[in-house]
Amino acid sequence: MMLIKRYIPLAIVFVFGIMTLATYYIPPKLAQDYYLETMNKWINIVAAFAFLLALLSLFYSHYNKIKRKVDGWGYSIFVYIGFLVVVVCAIKSEGQLMTGPALTSLGWIFRFLYNTLSASMFAVLAYYIVSTAFRSFRIKTLQAFVLFMAALFFIIGKVPLGNVLWNKLFFWTNVSISQVTDWIINVPSVAAKRGIMIGIAVGAIVTSLKIIFGIERQYMGKD
Amino acid sequence: MNLNAAAEILFLDEFSAADMPYDAGEEALLKWKTSPLDSAQATYQVFASTMQTGGWIKVDEFSADKKFASDIKLPFWAWKARKDLHAVAIPLETHFGKLEKNKEYFFKIISIKGRQKFESEIVSTQVKRNWFNFARLNNLVFVLVIFGIFIWTVSHAKRKGLFIRRIAGLDAIDEAIGRATEMGRPIYYITGIGSMSSISTIASTFILGEVAGKVAQYDSYVKVPHYNPIVMTVCKEVVRQAYLQAGRPDSYREDMNFFVSSDQFSYAASVDGMITREKPAACFLIGHFMAESLLLAEVGATVGAIQIAGTDSEHQLPFFFTTCDYTLIGEELYAAGAYLSKEPMLLSTLRLQDYGKFFVIVAVVIGIALMTLSVQYKWDLTDKILENIFKTY
Repeated sequence: MMLIKRYIPLAIVFVFGIMTLATYYIPPKLAQDYYLETMNKWINIVAAFAFLLALLSLFYSHYNKIKRKVDGWGYSIFVYIGFLVVVVCAIKSEGQLMTGPALTSLGWIFRFLYNTLSASMFAVLAYYIVSTAFRSFRIKTLQAFVLFMAALFFIIGKVPLGNVLWNKLFFWTNVSISQVTDWIINVPSVAAKRGIMIGIAVGAIVTSLKIIFGIERQYMGKD
Repeated sequence: MNLNAAAEILFLDEFSAADMPYDAGEEALLKWKTSPLDSAQATYQVFASTMQTGGWIKVDEFSADKKFASDIKLPFWAWKARKDLHAVAIPLETHFGKLEKNKEYFFKIISIKGRQKFESEIVSTQVKRNWFNFARLNNLVFVLVIFGIFIWTVSHAKRKGLFIRRIAGLDAIDEAIGRATEMGRPIYYITGIGSMSSISTIASTFILGEVAGKVAQYDSYVKVPHYNPIVMTVCKEVVRQAYLQAGRPDSYREDMNFFVSSDQFSYAASVDGMITREKPAACFLIGHFMAESLLLAEVGATVGAIQIAGTDSEHQLPFFFTTCDYTLIGEELYAAGAYLSKEPMLLSTLRLQDYGKFFVIVAVVIGIALMTLSVQYKWDLTDKILENIFKTY
């Protein structure tokens, strides 16, 4: 049992980890032709089976919601209706979104339902940014004050009225608001970002080694 | 046509053809010595053929003051960047389609200056696949050194005496789960939209194991909505094992992990809906996130959940800072497995992370000093060596 549950998966991780690492040192085309393409095919096969499991999981969880009449169970009915409608339309349209210049029923669903709903969801992001900003600007700590000041300079810098006010009030500094915002972006912001990125890169290397050598194996479930 | 009449003007000295080094056998390399008479007014036309006697195709044309060996971007240990040598890489597949094994390709060059022309001798070469990209030797050396230090740190793992700074986000896990238990509300664990090949997703599964174990101990309830089917399958096993190890297999339910959608905004909309309706006491947002980060975190903040986030997507970090109670930044996320499990071997690898950061700091400081001096005192060689060593080829 240990052989199947632990040693074989660890051996697979080690072999393919080392092989994938080795592909970096051979010309990209050869790596693509002899290794990466095959790996991609395998990944697609595994993903296809996993997707079937995912679909079953989706139906099962929504079935339970309807059965138990939990809050918002009515939405779960739309999962089944939506699934059936799209599958029927996809079969009818032979998987095509367009036939010549005309939209198929599947294409109509994508353009007028899916795309618009996705765009609406993305648009909600703008509202959330405002509400997050509002919460963050309540100055309770020194860090919150620094964040607030940086944001304030940005808002002033990006709004024409802010530019006019800055030029009227701070003309004696001989510094334009765009210079201030550029400095914030290019100096402290980039410095912090690079620091984080270096930490991430080093951490990613060490984590990869831990996984390849089977030291970190919690992703397989605990021993 | 006055072929060869201008031999004394643009004679091709030491003209040769060879396989292009370190490539996949797609290019041939032509080389010849530069002439003092090379100028923008003179032109080289390069011809290639699969036969020695005819079928010539013009594959390149350039003025004689261009394309030197020094223009080929390879490091000093793999290539002599000479300025007294013309070097041209000819992509043969572009002109002859799929290349055949052991086939000879022929080349000649016609140099033109004004009305005079000189035709070179015909040279030939075969191209072959090079299985080691020698230009990436610098990277290989770094990797081997890291391998060595990694094995050393792991083999010298100590049970005690290793100082690890506190990571508030990870210490707060108990608090978050305890709160959920007291309030009788579920815990949401969101692994983000990364696939299983993303390191942050793998790190997220480490933390999920620990969280699920504690949830099982406290007899609380965790829900893990998924974006990626493979991640879902892995997480199911992780949670099941955590419940088993906690001695609560009876409390484990198959629908703790469930698939939502493989579409970014559909996933966000669905999870937002669930959070709004169920009002979880704690939300963990740990993994790879993109634009949906704020959509998820802001809704969690609105329902008053204690939120612990962790990601290596540095663009999403500001959103988590402003909406979550605790945020794990990049490397803290990777260190979480070691921090939570307290396993000596895993903890010892954190030292490697510290050595790595120390090396980067030292390299940056020395690099800045050397580059400044090389510019000041025109140390071209130092400049070139440093640039080559730290460049990706």
